[in-house]
Amino acid sequence: MKLLKKGAEADIYITTWNAQNSILKIRKKKDYRIHSLDTRIRTLRTIKEAKMLSEAKSIGVATPLVYFVDEKKCEIYLQFIKGKLVRDLPIKQIIRTCKEIGKIVGVLHKNSIMHGDLTTSNFILSQKGLVILDFGLSQKTDKIDDHAIDLRLFKEVLNSAHAQIVDNAWMQFIDGYQKILGKNVTDKVVNQVLVIEKRGRYANVV
Amino acid sequence: MLSLGIESTAHTFSCAVIEKRGKHGKILSDIRKIYRPPEGEGIHPREASRHHAENSPQVLSECLQKANVKINDLDIVSYAAGPGLGPCLRIGAVVARSLSSYYDIPIYPVNHALGHIELGKMLTGAKDPLVLLVSGGHTMILAFLSKKWRVFGETLDITLGQLLDQIGRYAGFASPCGPKIEELASKSKEYLPLPYVVKGNDVSFSGLLSATKRVIPKGIESACFSLQETAFSMIGEATERALSFTGKKELLVVGGVAANKRLSDILSSICKRHDCKFFVSPKEYAGDCGSQISWVGLLESSKKLGTKLEDTFVKQSWRLDTVEVLY
Repeated sequence: MKLLKKGAEADIYITTWNAQNSILKIRKKKDYRIHSLDTRIRTLRTIKEAKMLSEAKSIGVATPLVYFVDEKKCEIYLQFIKGKLVRDLPIKQIIRTCKEIGKIVGVLHKNSIMHGDLTTSNFILSQKGLVILDFGLSQKTDKIDDHAIDLRLFKEVLNSAHAQIVDNAWMQFIDGYQKILGKNVTDKVVNQVLVIEKRGRYANVV
Repeated sequence: MLSLGIESTAHTFSCAVIEKRGKHGKILSDIRKIYRPPEGEGIHPREASRHHAENSPQVLSECLQKANVKINDLDIVSYAAGPGLGPCLRIGAVVARSLSSYYDIPIYPVNHALGHIELGKMLTGAKDPLVLLVSGGHTMILAFLSKKWRVFGETLDITLGQLLDQIGRYAGFASPCGPKIEELASKSKEYLPLPYVVKGNDVSFSGLLSATKRVIPKGIESACFSLQETAFSMIGEATERALSFTGKKELLVVGGVAANKRLSDILSSICKRHDCKFFVSPKEYAGDCGSQISWVGLLESSKKLGTKLEDTFVKQSWRLDTVEVLY
């Protein structure tokens, strides 16, 4: 078992599951959180993640296969996906990939799934295409506001981590999103993104 | 180079003189007068601005006296131009403009949030940190990238400082309520379940505010304890996510809430896990003060000329991520 990454939420290891390469995601105990709160968060997110990964797969979105879940230990064994995180791709390729990301998010929203953590480090570009990860914060919801939260987060990530390409990348993303959900719904959600931004601190409203 | 900085965004009116030699700054004086609303009430902008207007001459002269400089010695004057409460901002701006026009000193409008960050960097020696800005006006996670401070996460509604203040006021404490809540929280270990809302790198406190109000009848101490634990864990998680995403090796915490011991314990334990250096703005300079404004004025003056008097506006909603940083 080899440590691949110490993430914010979980530690990611490479290991094997039934003789197959596998990713082991462990949501370790966080000492800074009150025990009951910590257990509640880790257990719920582990279960949620396993469920949603499978559900997303069932509607045709590429996600890693779930091999095994241990909700007591907050562990998930997942299919190992070979590829590169979108965050680490060359700039031009990120712009292109944003359209695909938009399509994937469109399909999720169309099927009432809000991802909850749409960042460029939660997509892997593999040989077989784009794979989406990390459903720990996902929710089943049809609310436009929730879907807009997803888009706003992605926009925030582009704005901060990929500031040089934000305009282009965002346009591509919306383009992909619109291909799945149509202009009407897309306009509504994008509009709601603006509403959420105005709710924020010191937004340009005064 | 000598700079006078004037801060008047909210409850604090403060003047400070900083001397800059090369890249180093030395705070010669930092005088503050803080407006205290009656217990159970928040800042009334008109009353606060009256307080600032009445106290400004005394604060200014005390500040110059302590620094042992005359107005004519000053190379620049800077003032906090936003974000903040309009009536309060205008007091600081008027003082700065008067000095600038009468004594012919270059004037620099400064973003208040930038002041928190830059002074924090100067005092702690952090080089390229992820910044957590937690105060009454801000709850933001930021990193510097191509000329601007970029927001990696922030509150979607009220700030951490507002959350603590509103609960405190509801319970009848005097503002700012953070220290009182911290004291009460330290007397309890009983955790009452409260909503924990992290959305990606962002947090939302409005639901937590209403829920905490509802549990106050079960005991103010356990309510404060549970509020702190929940809110700080949320901030902790959002910060951890941003650290992991950006891969930064330094974390700097600035703003009034940075003075909270429990919050800095949580953050330092997160830094340990991510092999990251942890810096907190010294308590004395964590809250609003003139030094923050004075220092940014000095940094800006190294790259640009003073602003024309007719362009020295105040901007109540001046987001940090729109400020271009040239130095």
